[in-house]
Amino acid sequence: MVKIKMPKVQEALAVTPALPPERAAPSPAEGVPPSDFVIRIRNLNLWYDGTPALHDVTLDLPRCKVTAFIGPSGCGKSTLLRCLNRLNDLIDGVRMSGSIHVSGQDIYDPFVDVTELRKRVGMVFQKSNPFPKSIFENVAYGPRIHGVRNRSDLDAIVQKSLERAGLWNEAKDRLNRNALELSGGQQQRLCIARALAVDPEILLMDEPCSALDPVSTAHIEELFFDLKTRYTIVLVTHNMQQAARASDRTAFLLQGRLVEVGSTRDMFTNPRKSETQDYITGRFG
Amino acid sequence: MTEASISRRWRRRTDLLARWVVRAGGMAIIASVLGIFVFILIEVAPLFRRARAASAPEVPVPPTFLLAGVDETEELAFGISAPGRVEFIPLTEREAPAATELPGFSGRTPTCVFRPLREEEIDVGTADGRLVTASVRFRVGFGEATEDWRSSRTITPETSEPTVLQLDPQEKPLQAVARQSDSRGLVAAAITEDKRLVYLCVLEKKTLMGGVKRTEHRADLTGELPAAPTALTIDGSLENIYVGTAAGHVVHFDIRDLDAPRKVGFDTVRAAGSTPVTAMALLIGDQSLVVGEESGALSVWFQVDDAASSTGKALRRIREFPSHPAAVTAIAPSARDKGFATGDRAGRVRVHHSTSGRTLLSLEGDGSAVTQLVMTPRATGLLALHESGRISRWRIDNPHPEITLQTLFGKVWYEGYNEPAYSWQSGGGTDDFEPKFSLTPLIFGTLKGTVYALLIAVPIAILAAIYTAQFMHPDLRNLIKPTIEVMAALPSVVLGFLAGLWLAPAMERYMPAVLLMLIGIPASTLLALGAWLLLPSRLRGRSRGRLEIVLLMPVLVLAGAACFALGGPLERALFGGDFQQWWYETTGLTYDQRNAVVVGIAMGFAVIPIIFTISEDALSNVPRHLVSGSLALGATRWQTAVRVVLPTASPGIFSAIMIGFGRVVGETMIVLMATGNTPIMEWNLFNGFRTLSANIAVEIPEAPHGGTLYRILFLGALLLFAATFLVNTAAEMVRMRMRARYARL
Ligand SMILES: Nc1ncnc2c1ncn2[C@@H]1O[C@H](COP(=O)(O)OP(=O)(O)O)[C@@H](O)[C@H]1O
Ligand SMILES: [Mg+2]
Repeated sequence: MVKIKMPKVQEALAVTPALPPERAAPSPAEGVPPSDFVIRIRNLNLWYDGTPALHDVTLDLPRCKVTAFIGPSGCGKSTLLRCLNRLNDLIDGVRMSGSIHVSGQDIYDPFVDVTELRKRVGMVFQKSNPFPKSIFENVAYGPRIHGVRNRSDLDAIVQKSLERAGLWNEAKDRLNRNALELSGGQQQRLCIARALAVDPEILLMDEPCSALDPVSTAHIEELFFDLKTRYTIVLVTHNMQQAARASDRTAFLLQGRLVEVGSTRDMFTNPRKSETQDYITGRFG
Repeated sequence: MTEASISRRWRRRTDLLARWVVRAGGMAIIASVLGIFVFILIEVAPLFRRARAASAPEVPVPPTFLLAGVDETEELAFGISAPGRVEFIPLTEREAPAATELPGFSGRTPTCVFRPLREEEIDVGTADGRLVTASVRFRVGFGEATEDWRSSRTITPETSEPTVLQLDPQEKPLQAVARQSDSRGLVAAAITEDKRLVYLCVLEKKTLMGGVKRTEHRADLTGELPAAPTALTIDGSLENIYVGTAAGHVVHFDIRDLDAPRKVGFDTVRAAGSTPVTAMALLIGDQSLVVGEESGALSVWFQVDDAASSTGKALRRIREFPSHPAAVTAIAPSARDKGFATGDRAGRVRVHHSTSGRTLLSLEGDGSAVTQLVMTPRATGLLALHESGRISRWRIDNPHPEITLQTLFGKVWYEGYNEPAYSWQSGGGTDDFEPKFSLTPLIFGTLKGTVYALLIAVPIAILAAIYTAQFMHPDLRNLIKPTIEVMAALPSVVLGFLAGLWLAPAMERYMPAVLLMLIGIPASTLLALGAWLLLPSRLRGRSRGRLEIVLLMPVLVLAGAACFALGGPLERALFGGDFQQWWYETTGLTYDQRNAVVVGIAMGFAVIPIIFTISEDALSNVPRHLVSGSLALGATRWQTAVRVVLPTASPGIFSAIMIGFGRVVGETMIVLMATGNTPIMEWNLFNGFRTLSANIAVEIPEAPHGGTLYRILFLGALLLFAATFLVNTAAEMVRMRMRARYARL
């Protein structure tokens, strides 16, 4: 069980010797070989109706690790996250430059099949958004979309996904009940199960716990440890403790710029930039 | 008192006031809707009220009196008594006018009377085989003015000089007579005491010299009868004589050649056994024949088409009434409608209505046989002369005798029809006409109009709503949605006018082109889409719906033009150059210019905006995060629209359709102007119909206040009210459930 309240971030982290300062990216931190960076973002700029929201972001995210995006509200964390599964396509007036490669493929190439990309890059939203259907249908939605028709296959996928999302025991007797009858934390885990059901490589989570009570939050954070054995997780959070507890690497954004990225331990014990220091210690944000 | 506490009190007061105003407003709405409902109900209820009769004091009559009629004011009954006097019997507290001698009688005894409906003449048969015809007229005058106008009213009978014809050459007493005349002359027939049937026709022709040429034709028809005659009647158009026999036959003579009656055929009243026919009478309009029997059985007959018959028609027993317990001895038709009264040998009197097939009243007389029965001219009273020499009297309150659930909603066998049918035909201008008040063709018409309109409106409106809410570029959407909403403000009379006067003739001319467009427009849209997808993605750009729509417009216009251009050749190639003719020959169905398709399009057009707006709202109110959730799973926009947005918005779309349904059901102007308002029951695409709402508009000028038609129109309104009320309530309930559901999303 993860502790829910932590008096001080530094206290929670094992004090480790500071690593020598490095350039933010590309950074083969913690001995990750460069080939293991599954997402590579290069010189990403983004404008909403001409207003810049991201400025020259260059960042690599390692495979099977939890990377946290932290930063004050409005700094562009969600925007950056939505770039990774091209959900920004839906917003009018978005213009961008730069490139993003996922597993070596340029996802903004005109020939990319967006639905295929989104199948590989799953997403869990800040506000849980189960469909007004049964629990089973919610989880089976993705596989059905992608052509799974066989009932026993669907049954297996639903069970596996719910198990991975830690919801199977609570939901197995009420698979045909409306998903909206679940509690908030259960609904969020259902959304995680729904995202897992299409078998993604990467899981984007945009403040998945911000609307949840502490017990549900702890429950989901616990999940990260299991999930990162299979999935690359990108976690947006404005909760410092959560970033510290749950992530391996942390990227700090400020006003659309990437200020600093590194291993979570380094960031929290020994930030290189003074802005990072100020933010982590709660001087602003 | 501080300022804060004043403002708090002030706030409390306005709050209270606002609450009461809102509550009162709500209550007023509920009350007025309920009030309308109750008002309609009050107008409709008398339709189903039972007939009532109040018995009036009996009056004695002189010996050997034969009852002939009652005056218009129902104050004097009159008849014939031996030896040939017209006697007047006061029915109110007034003095009897002196009896008048009829000169032609000269001491002979009257044996029977006959009185054609609504004529002033009475016909008296005598003991020496003569027919004496005289008119009895009543002049109403007013004496010196008093408070009570009734008592000052004077009624003066005037009796004309009678005409006398020797009907039976053998001068035997006549048992029953019948006489009718028109401009050509006179036809009379009688049954004599020795059971002969004699026939006399007197024709009068004006000669060039200004004189009158009189010819007489006599016939003894006894030989044609299968058994001894017992009752007879002649119709007012001088075409048929019907004779009942002692062995239970109804014999039909065709007298259209007035000088030579021809037997058409006969039928027996009972399939097995025989019971003498004891009374016969034609109802107003001279089509329905009421036959009463010795057994007390009572039936209505009329002619229907029959190829086997020499005249092409044959007399059929159409309906049966409950039997009298004793022989039917007298039948009195009403001069107002298809009602009639019957009296029997045990002194009972009953009132019936032919169309509804219902016995409305059963009355007890004085216990002795009814010998004669008379209905007052306005059908509000009934006089029965009994063997005992007394007249029993009733006042009858029976304003809507023909209305039953069966006549309103079921099949009814009307006069002149070959089989029972649903029919609406409220009036023919005269009392002779049998009104046909079946609401079924109107309900059918309402459903037909609704189905065709919704068939056109629902797919267009909902597909448009899906497209607008889910796929259209927001800029376009902000333009299109208000535009379509403005369309809803178009008065339906304008749409009806356009549909009736422009669309209907245009469609008639270009029907094949219109049919072609049904295929051509979607096909060209699909082709354009295919071509678009073939374009290199760089050319397509990221227009997200704006460019596509702009490019589609000329394609649609071209496709429409092409359909029109090809319409003519297509009509020549497939339909032999004339679609209407081809349709009639292929399907046997007619093509009316103002038909269901025209109405469907016009009425569809009228409800598309409302269905579109409500569905579009429901669709775009589906929370964005559900759409993002689906897209983030790799669903396409179409999959998202169909699998997430549509199911979530379905209650809203359902309620949009229901509200559209409610609008179409009550829509009046369009159907009024764009259908022929023909109350027929066919699903044929290309003929008209009449809806309940249009019916009200069409018939209002014909419906006097308080009359049967007036109340039936209210019944139609009640049905419409109930239908829209139910549908709107259902829609509202669904909407409420949806709101509860969205609250949890
Ligand atoms: N759909 C949008 N249209 C216009 N501006 C947006 C939109 N979404 C976000 N922004 C702007 O972009 C900036 C970054 O927002 P966001 O990525 O949501 O920040 P964060 O998730 O870090 O709170 C903010 O200034 C916000 O106002
Ligand atoms: Mg955010």
